[in-house]
Amino acid sequence: MSDFDARVRFHVYDHFVDCGEAPSQAEVAAALDTSPEAISESFERLAEGKALVLQPESREVLMAEPFSAIPTAYVVRSKSRSWWGNCIWDALGIPAAIGDDAEVLTSCADCGEAMTVKIEGGRLAVGEGVVHFSVPVRDWWPDVAFT
Amino acid sequence: MLLFRSEEHVDRWCRQWSRPRGAVFRLEQQWGLAKAWYADRLQFDWRRKTEDEVQRIFQDLGLTSSFWDL
Repeated sequence: MSDFDARVRFHVYDHFVDCGEAPSQAEVAAALDTSPEAISESFERLAEGKALVLQPESREVLMAEPFSAIPTAYVVRSKSRSWWGNCIWDALGIPAAIGDDAEVLTSCADCGEAMTVKIEGGRLAVGEGVVHFSVPVRDWWPDVAFT
Repeated sequence: MLLFRSEEHVDRWCRQWSRPRGAVFRLEQQWGLAKAWYADRLQFDWRRKTEDEVQRIFQDLGLTSSFWDL
């Protein structure tokens, strides 16, 4: 990854953490004092390297794992901030990434009963239930969107 | 990667959606996996993990069945 792409990736994550949403290509370009075209090309390289996932048509950010740019069934809150996680792995990945206490608000994928998971002091403080992966690792690793 | 209230709910979901039952594990293990996977994600010099690093993460968390083989 080039230094420029690393700066772009870093800014995307910084924006997600601070604002709870993905920055547009135009916003990244303005922040880094460069052209939208340069950011568009950088986004494509980062997507090729599995560092970002882009929306299919607009080519704006869809995911910067563990963060999702669109609403999901996994809401993550920490102090006054909130984000969407892509799945339970990613939802818990947000407090892991930001290194802060957080709660995940979701529901049972089967029956819809509300479920809350709390991370406090780096530990699982509140949370019950089990996690299910339906696809063996060897089948998702080559094309994984979340690594 | 979905969260369920219990293994009974996993089984019911698999039947309802005709999906194979994959790996089921504890939320505590998922938290461990999240930490191992994402703790470095906000660092400027982050890089994608190698296959060996990923396999080691799974092994350290006790995720050692063939389901977790790369």
